[in-house]
Amino acid sequence: MINFKFIIDSIPAMIKAIPVTILMALASAVAGWIIGLFIALIRKAKVPVISQACALFVSFMRGVPMIILLYISYYALPILLYNYAAEKGINMDVTLIPPVFYAIVALTLDQAAYSSEILRSALAAVDEGQLEAAYSVGMTKSQAMLRVVFPQALPIALPNLGGLFSGLIKGTSLAFYVGVYEITATANLLAMPALNFIEAYIMTTVVYEVISVITNHSFGSFETRFKKFRTHEAA
Amino acid sequence: MQSSYDFSKIPSYIPKVMKAFPVTMEILLVSLFLGLVIGAIVTMGSLSKNKIFQNISKGYIAFMRGIPTLVLIFLLYLGLPQVMQGFGINMQGVSKVAYIIVTLSLSTSANMAEMMRTSYLAVDKGQREAAYSVGMKEITAFRRIILPQAFGIAIPTLGNNIILLFKETSLAFTVGVIDLLGKGRAVSAASYGVNRLEVYVATGLIFWAFCSAMEKVSKLVEASYTKGRKQAAS
Repeated sequence: MINFKFIIDSIPAMIKAIPVTILMALASAVAGWIIGLFIALIRKAKVPVISQACALFVSFMRGVPMIILLYISYYALPILLYNYAAEKGINMDVTLIPPVFYAIVALTLDQAAYSSEILRSALAAVDEGQLEAAYSVGMTKSQAMLRVVFPQALPIALPNLGGLFSGLIKGTSLAFYVGVYEITATANLLAMPALNFIEAYIMTTVVYEVISVITNHSFGSFETRFKKFRTHEAA
Repeated sequence: MQSSYDFSKIPSYIPKVMKAFPVTMEILLVSLFLGLVIGAIVTMGSLSKNKIFQNISKGYIAFMRGIPTLVLIFLLYLGLPQVMQGFGINMQGVSKVAYIIVTLSLSTSANMAEMMRTSYLAVDKGQREAAYSVGMKEITAFRRIILPQAFGIAIPTLGNNIILLFKETSLAFTVGVIDLLGKGRAVSAASYGVNRLEVYVATGLIFWAFCSAMEKVSKLVEASYTKGRKQAAS
């Protein structure tokens, strides 16, 4: 019933697909969380117009399913890039851009929206007096943020960022629909010729579960590390 | 490749895509109901004093949180019939919508279970003791004292979980169900894909509108439900 030969034969191809998923997730998380931090700071400072625009962006990203964002990115970006290049007088061949680029753009914007909410509430959770104390010892605004507020906001945000990252790993499976050969797409491709679906998807499940365990474990140990550091300092 | 776009056409696609709204609603409501039922059973396991039940519940939640919904859909839709055939059971009569409903119920049940567990534990222990002290039985104390308070605590998370589930219904198209996104794809296929970007944007706007509305409703419900209680607590 279960074709074990298929499983053993497929292992190398599956392993090759793992870095694609990891790369997509890491690139989107790094880029998205940096943008998210800026959105959080802009909304905290209540910069007129930009702040409202950011709120609208966050609401849109949170209201639209990932798969639709991927499709929009996949179909809209080539047109935008082509037109932009044409305006500058460059004849750009947009068909050379790998699909993974469009997937990373969509995932990055999604991460930016969700992480901005997490970071905003983490920044709000740091006591206002901390900032005042930093000013009172003569720190500039950026010094106070970097040395006093951020180190306290990060441990508050970490558990939620960990949850966001495991969601992101799961979200990368949708990149299959815009033609990225990540884990799910590879499994599907391997299963097709002889219809070995159950074998392929059991393997896929195992791979995702292992990644999930590693991710949760890493974020868990970051957390304990930060907490230890903080109590040590406070004592 | 689509080489240009015409965003003025977007509003005209919205009513066309909306025709599939009842399908999406059906998937959402049935999965929500089943997800809450499974979630409640899992919560009972994780709160029980039996270590085996606790671990089964924990393992179930961890498993569901690690597997992408898309992979779970494929596992059940493509993989399960293959296994069942091995046992001589033919699953060809099962509708595509049923597979989607089962998948989404399972995936949301883990979130629901976590929500129920944390809300239950967030109710002050003294509340139960106070209920016992006035002579209530365990069942009565749960139904009249604990549950109403836990529900108030759960409302924001419940709203969030429903929104997440609503967004996940968009994966129904992957097995060929004509839900909102499936309809959107059909509309764009009817014109050979020249307008697919506009159609996807239109579908996205529909999702956005409903998610925003649900968020508002969830806030209103929370405000009206917890209003009297906060007064009573003070």
